[in-house]
Formats: sequence, structure tokens, C-alpha cells
Amino acid sequence: MKVSFFETVRYVPPRALPAEWPVPSGAYDPAAGAAAYQGMIERLRYVEALGFDWVSVSEHHYSPRILTPSPIVSAAFIAAQLPRITIALLGPIVPHSNPVRVAEELAMLDTMAGGRLVVGLLRGTANEAMTYDLNPQEARERTDEGMELILKAWTEPEPFGWQGRHFQYRTVSIWPRPLQQPHPPTFALGTSRESCEFAARHRLGCGVSYGPFEVMGKATRYYREQCARHGWTPAPEQILYRANMLVADTDDEAHALLRAQSAQAPFALRAGVREAMMAADARNIAGEARPAVLSGALPTTFVGSPDTVVEQVRRCREVVGAGVLDLSLHTPGSTDLEPLTRALELFGRKVLPRIRDI
Amino acid sequence: MDTAVTPVEFREGAVEVDGARLRYREAGQGSVLVHLPGPDGLTPALGLLAQRFRVVILEAGQPPRPAAMVAQAIRRLGLDAFDLMGTASDGATALGLALLEPTRVRALVLEAPTEGSDGDLERRLPDVATPTLVLLGTRDDARGAALGRTCKTRIPGSHLVFVYDAGAAVGRDRPQAFAEVVADFLERREAFVISRARTVLHP
Repeated sequence: MKVSFFETVRYVPPRALPAEWPVPSGAYDPAAGAAAYQGMIERLRYVEALGFDWVSVSEHHYSPRILTPSPIVSAAFIAAQLPRITIALLGPIVPHSNPVRVAEELAMLDTMAGGRLVVGLLRGTANEAMTYDLNPQEARERTDEGMELILKAWTEPEPFGWQGRHFQYRTVSIWPRPLQQPHPPTFALGTSRESCEFAARHRLGCGVSYGPFEVMGKATRYYREQCARHGWTPAPEQILYRANMLVADTDDEAHALLRAQSAQAPFALRAGVREAMMAADARNIAGEARPAVLSGALPTTFVGSPDTVVEQVRRCREVVGAGVLDLSLHTPGSTDLEPLTRALELFGRKVLPRIRDI
Repeated sequence: MDTAVTPVEFREGAVEVDGARLRYREAGQGSVLVHLPGPDGLTPALGLLAQRFRVVILEAGQPPRPAAMVAQAIRRLGLDAFDLMGTASDGATALGLALLEPTRVRALVLEAPTEGSDGDLERRLPDVATPTLVLLGTRDDARGAALGRTCKTRIPGSHLVFVYDAGAAVGRDRPQAFAEVVADFLERREAFVISRARTVLHP
């Protein structure tokens, strides 16, 4: 099992923040922001020393919950300061982006970081559609097309034009190309039928997140079936599962942390906007319709003492088939950094060495 | 361009050359675009192109006709200079024709081209002096991918455009996308790489 630390940049607000998304920019404290990014680097030095395989970053906007609106900038900052760890850029939100620019920046980063880049391409969570005025009903199509264009820009040796549905270019010919050839290990992130099929067709990895093992297992099973249909079998490290983990000295302590956590997502949308977005944003798991996650807190699927968590990881491997775990060890909703540091230490000492061989 | 794919009435006719009878279909007015359709026949893209050009679809592939015969058939139709588009194995015929009569063929469009009967064609590609556009569908892993790329590499100044989500029959799978890029290339040649798309939302 490969283990990745999901770095969310802990912004510690000096005073209480409004609870709705978007969070007013005026409530941002520049000194607290600077401290958050410096704290990120200190934490990641520790993460690297503990022996994590990867650190991952993601793209989120207009709130302090995960302070990485441009994950490529975070990844470059991290790569410059950490010498060894692999950087998993599990963004960028493709339908927001200029795919050619994304291909260029990722190729630069992979080259500058000595081939330490892993890439995840995705559609993005529902609220992110509002950040750059993306029509959620077009998001899926734009994602698929953008991902294909990124792959083409990385691999096509001749200058080419792209006559798409959502993107059009007459001239594409990127420099540099990625250091890892033909391109960095790449995942299509998402549980949807479309995402799994895309990954299978292009021989990419598949990344799922947060849901219960059985439900995520449905998506990864569908992905493996699609790979078989395209005549190949994915390696275990091509299935990634991102999850929340609450690890503590005892099961009781871990469950107490879980109970203390809010059932509401931090910085939720107003009810009217949320309902309209749910109606506009169709999602599915391996073809089965599911609502977009917009109000509830994301589930925590690993909870307990180190022994318990190791068993849960074993089950995850069996049911989801994941060969990479991308873990958020932070107590969701908390602004206190102490529990995160404790969880990291405990995980590094008592869990990480025992799940390598799972 | 009107992007609705509405059926266009093509007039049918035939032209005789050296005892062979070549059928053709024709619609539209203006600058002449001769199309050698390969196996794809009358795709919706041709109806769209006929709104901008005088489109002449000449059956030159079944059985395959030599480039010289096709050149003569086009002359019989009273067409001296023309743009030329070839699909699949008719792409090879179109290339042969461009090499044979470089002053008559003003521009060349190759849709997922494949090898024809001329085994020497690849070697002669650097001699193609006609402005050339190669179109490949992103779902076409077989038919046009090989010769299409070779054409891009070896024909000086040629252009390669991928039409997203199209298979080998690009004009059938993505008619509007196909017709837009072909028309833009035929009207502006090399300058088609300079965007004219307007992005002003609210002047």
C-alpha cells in the first residue's frame, strides 16, 4: 500500500468567520494566511521524514477550508522545499481550466521536480462550478474533453489543432514535455461511469473519495471491468482512495473525536442555491444516480486505534481494491492544529509501518 | 455558418473518361470544392459546406481511379482550378492529384487518409506544394492515424487538426466541427491559425 498525505493548508482564523460559502474575502487575515503556508511546509517536512510516499494537494476556492485555489502553485512551492516526496496534484479542476495551460504547467512542474509528479484530473465539487461561472450541466463534457486534450498535448509529437465541442485551438505544441514519459502517472478522479470509462480507455488510474468502502468498491469494480473491456488490467497503485481518518490511542478516543465533529459541511451554500445546484448537477456512481455532496460533512471511513485502523485499511484494500490511500488526518471542522500533529505522529509510528505490505 | 444540419439537395450526374463512367453529385455556389468521398459517401458535413462552396462529390474510389483519370474527369466538368478534399483511400488519390496538377489544386484537405494503390506516395510527400490540412478523429486509432501523421510530418507547412470525439468518418461524426475547420482553412489557408472568435459578451 502506498500512502499519501492530503495537505489541506490549515488556516487558523484569528477571529470567528462567517459560516457560508463563499466566505467573504474581507474576512481573510494576511498574517494568518502566511502562517498557514509556512506551517504547511513544516508539517510536510515531518510527513516526508515519517516516510509517506506522496503528499497530495487539491483545488478549492473562496473559503479557508482548503487554502489551495491553485494547486499547481502549492505543488511548485512544496516541490522546491521538499527534496524527496512525490507530489500528487489531485486537481486541477479541468472544466475551469485552459487544458493546454494545464498540460504546460504540469510538464514544467514534473520536469523541475525531477519527475516526482503524480496527476489527478477531475470535474470538481459542485460548488466549485460557481467560482468561475461554469455551467454545471456542461461540466462533465468539458472535463472529458479537457482531459483528452491534456493527454494529447503531452504526447503528440507534431504541432496540432483541436476542434472540440468546448475547446478549440489551431496550434498546440508544448515545451517542455513532462520528464516522465509518456506522461506522469495520471488518474481520472471520480466515481462516475464517465470518469471510470475515460480512465479505462486511456489506461489511466482511477481515484475515488470519502464514500463507504462498499460504495466506492462499486465504482472501482466498474473501472476494472472497463479496463478488461479495453484489454488491460490496472495495477493496484492505479486505484486511489482518498479518505478521512481519525486515529487515536484508543477506539474510544477516536470515536469521541468523531462525535465531536459537526454533521454539517463547513462553509455550506445557502439553502436556495444548494437546491438549485443539486438540480443542475447530475452525479452518479458507476452509472447509478447520486446527489452531489453539498451540505453534509464528508464521511470518515477510518476511525479507531492503530490496530483498528490497520484492519480497516486491510478491508479497504479488499473491498475498494485501492493500492494508494490518500489520507486527511485532520479532524474535520477543527481549527486546532494540535490533534492533527498528534494524529500524524501516531499514524507515522504505529500505522504506516504496518500497512506497507497490505 | 448556419450550424444546423439541414438536408441539402445534391444534383446527380455522371462524367465519362476513357470509357469509364464516374458519378458525381453537386450542390451550392461559389468557390469550387471537389470531394473524393472514399467509403463515407454523402456526410452531413458536405451539406454544411455546400452552404459556403460549390461542392462536387466525385465517385473516384469504387473501383479506385488513377489520379490522372480523376484530373481529366474534373476538367470535363469544366472545373479548372479547385480545392480538393479526399477521404480515406481517396485521400491518397487526392494527394496524387495534387502532385500531378499542382497549379489546378489550390488547397488540399485530407480526412483520415489511408494508403492508396500508389506505393511510392509516402516518398513523394515532401514534393506536395499545395496548402494541406489533415483531419483526424480522436477516436480513430487505426484508419487515418498512420498516414495522416506521416502527411503532417512530411508535407511542408501542412496542418494537422484533431476533431474531438470523432472516429475515422470525421464528417459524419462531427459535421459542424468538420465543416467549420475545413471552411476556415479553405477561405484563409495558413492564416486560419489566427483566431477570429469573438469573446465580447456585452458590448
